[in-house]
Amino acid sequence: MDINLTQEELSFQAEVKEFLSENAHKPGTDYNEWRLNWFKVAASKGGWDVPKWPEAFGGPGWSPTQHYIWEQETSRAQTPWDLPFGLSMLAPVLMNYGSKEQQNRFLPDIRDRLVNWCQGYSEPNAGSDLANLKTKAALSEDGTHYLVNGTKVWTTLAHIADWMFCLTRTNDTGKKQEGITFLLIPMKQEGIEVKPIITLGGSHSVNMVHITDVKVPVENRIGEENKGWGYAKGLLAHERTGLAGISRSIVALESLKNQAGSVKRGNGSLMDEPTFKLKVAELEADLMAVEYTELRSLANAASGNEPGPESSILKLKGTEIQQRLQRLTMEAGGIYSSAWGMSNVGPSFARSGMSGYLSSRAFTIYGGASEVQKDVVAKNVLGLKK
Amino acid sequence: MNFELSETQSILKDSVERFIGESYSLDKRQSLVKSELGFSQDNWKKMAELGWLSITVPESTGGFGGNQIDSMIMMEEFGKGLVLEPFFISSVVAGQILCDLGNQAQKENWLPRLVSGDCQLTFAYAEEQSRFDLEDVLTRAKPDEEGGFIIDGTKSMVLHAASADAMIVSCRTSGGQYEKNGISLFLVPKDLQGIHIDSFETVDGQRAAEVRFESVRVDMNALLGGEGNAFSTIKRAQQSGILALCAEATGIMESLYKDTASYTQDREQFDRPMSEFQVIQHRLVDMFMEYEQCKSMLLRATLEFVHNPDGSSRSIHALKYLVGKTGKFIGENAIQLHGGMGMTEELNIAHYFKRLLTIDILFGNSDYHLEKFAA
Ligand SMILES: Cc1cc2nc3c(=O)[nH]c(=O)nc-3n(C[C@H](O)[C@H](O)[C@H](O)COP(=O)(O)OP(=O)(O)OC[C@H]3O[C@@H](n4cnc5c(N)ncnc54)[C@H](O)[C@@H]3O)c2cc1C
Repeated sequence: MDINLTQEELSFQAEVKEFLSENAHKPGTDYNEWRLNWFKVAASKGGWDVPKWPEAFGGPGWSPTQHYIWEQETSRAQTPWDLPFGLSMLAPVLMNYGSKEQQNRFLPDIRDRLVNWCQGYSEPNAGSDLANLKTKAALSEDGTHYLVNGTKVWTTLAHIADWMFCLTRTNDTGKKQEGITFLLIPMKQEGIEVKPIITLGGSHSVNMVHITDVKVPVENRIGEENKGWGYAKGLLAHERTGLAGISRSIVALESLKNQAGSVKRGNGSLMDEPTFKLKVAELEADLMAVEYTELRSLANAASGNEPGPESSILKLKGTEIQQRLQRLTMEAGGIYSSAWGMSNVGPSFARSGMSGYLSSRAFTIYGGASEVQKDVVAKNVLGLKK
Repeated sequence: MNFELSETQSILKDSVERFIGESYSLDKRQSLVKSELGFSQDNWKKMAELGWLSITVPESTGGFGGNQIDSMIMMEEFGKGLVLEPFFISSVVAGQILCDLGNQAQKENWLPRLVSGDCQLTFAYAEEQSRFDLEDVLTRAKPDEEGGFIIDGTKSMVLHAASADAMIVSCRTSGGQYEKNGISLFLVPKDLQGIHIDSFETVDGQRAAEVRFESVRVDMNALLGGEGNAFSTIKRAQQSGILALCAEATGIMESLYKDTASYTQDREQFDRPMSEFQVIQHRLVDMFMEYEQCKSMLLRATLEFVHNPDGSSRSIHALKYLVGKTGKFIGENAIQLHGGMGMTEELNIAHYFKRLLTIDILFGNSDYHLEKFAA
């Protein structure tokens, strides 16, 4: 047991720090230009634009400890926004199950952040029970294309997406999981109708997507017909590991302390009020522990083992902590936390307090609701169910 | 001992329920939220016609002479209906201050119009630095030569200020920032020169404003009660405000746990109703139990306040603490058990939860009252 970074790891850390500070966005310069250029510069470092990709596909081939260092440093520094759908959700599927042609066709644009993807899994009657999905894909007689009909829901950013990776039903008989096919569907075409759903934080990020008589060439099918469930499940695991957000929570805790510290109470601040201070302390203790849960899981992976039991609770604990952070931020905002989108009342962190908190309620719903996650832990880790 | 409603109380409850059934579908409510005013003048008039705006006004001044039990009954139903009209701040809080402190002329001038729905009042007490402390007042009122006062300062989160005809404003006439002594209340017509109202929508779809007073001159008649000793009245207004808000919240929590229970019975996943999962059953039982705890505490605090206002402050602190804490517990779980649907604005769930969160920060949040309770 040893938690010290090796000499090489320390110099890697220094290199990352230097890279991030040299390439930070300079106020007043064009953001988009900087963003796309940032990825180019990162690519020239040897795959730093796609840290999680395997070496064979251009990734940096880092050790788990290097990934950890990268996470820590990037959650503090200013890095350009990025979306997970193509980069961390679809790309691993393409690499594992896609054909050479498909890899060559889709991976470069994903890597260059030129194409936006959305995830078309959930349907009105297929949420937690995803295998219940009904969007039908019928293979044409000549075998050249599928005719797709159905409705997807909660599709994040479908309104800006160029493509959707979509689970469709190709077989109604037998086990539900065994009749699902993984298709890639262009979004900008007739037959695709995207309707916004406004969520309770007040923003538009999710949508309902109606798919009507859309022809999808068989070249857009990943792997074999009726085998999509297996490909998608592998992908859900990627989605989940990305959702714990521990490094980001550590940074968020620091800013919560600063914000609450800026709320004056008498001669001190909100951070001196016992009830608030104790809640922050409780959260910090939990966060310190879960940080080590993550390290244990990384160390395990580094030694080439299967993910251990500790990794299964990272999404659960990680999202719970993110929600508590949002809740305390809202509480710190006091009377101003309900000032909806107002630009000039109270401290700026306070105004978005309630909407941030409300949006955070989704963290324990998407990517596998917490209750369902716990079922998985009960079954696979504790062995409580057959 | 008896917790049953009297006949008049039952009639009141039924009539509020009927009004909500007729006038308050979610669609109608949401279009009111989007309107400039944020509520319906027609509804406001109707509430006046039904006599509700006079419920808490003493009989001697033309009211119904009811007490906190009557407003509790109404507020619980208003909560379930997500009612937007400013009954709480105008009738319960400002109305009560006026009844408590107003002289003959002030009452005659305002009460009949308040009761008929022709005018609407609000109460401006919070300030940017005050957080939840009612005595933390920087807004100043200085006497001028002609016996009036000049008001300077900014009041925060003033509910429905833009549509109010006048506001009751807490001002410091003497003493230091945190002193209970030296605070006076003024009834300030909104159209006076030097009043700037910056109005916005709050998370619950209601309206609030930052109100800036720049050398606003009021005459002597604007002073409510004696100079410098308004704190006990403010405190009492806060207490009856809390009782009303907690009644509203209790109504909301009842709807939330019931709506969630029925949603899980209708929603099928894994080839069975969600309600068949034991985890969900237990969660719903927890929501139900915590709601019942709030209901009991609401009755306790309300009855104590009615029978012995001066001895009820611990119960009122406990109530506001419990309602704030439970509101989050029930709201969070209602959303969780609704899954994606809970995250939308299409069901009542989201709107109920937003109102609960807003109620928590009115007149002190749960932490604030827990500390007062423990003190
Ligand atoms: C903001 C947001 C973004 C999303 N983005 C996407 C996206 O981009 N693409 C996509 O395909 N989907 C997306 N989703 C959908 C998400 O994956 C589903 O909401 C989720 O799988 C839950 O499904 P549901 O909403 O139908 O809830 P339901 O399945 O109806 O479940 C409701 C609740 O019941 C409980 N529950 C469910 N099953 C069980 C069980 N077995 N035992 C005990 N309790 C249970 C849980 O508390 C759950 O939250 C998104 C959702 C949200 C809220």
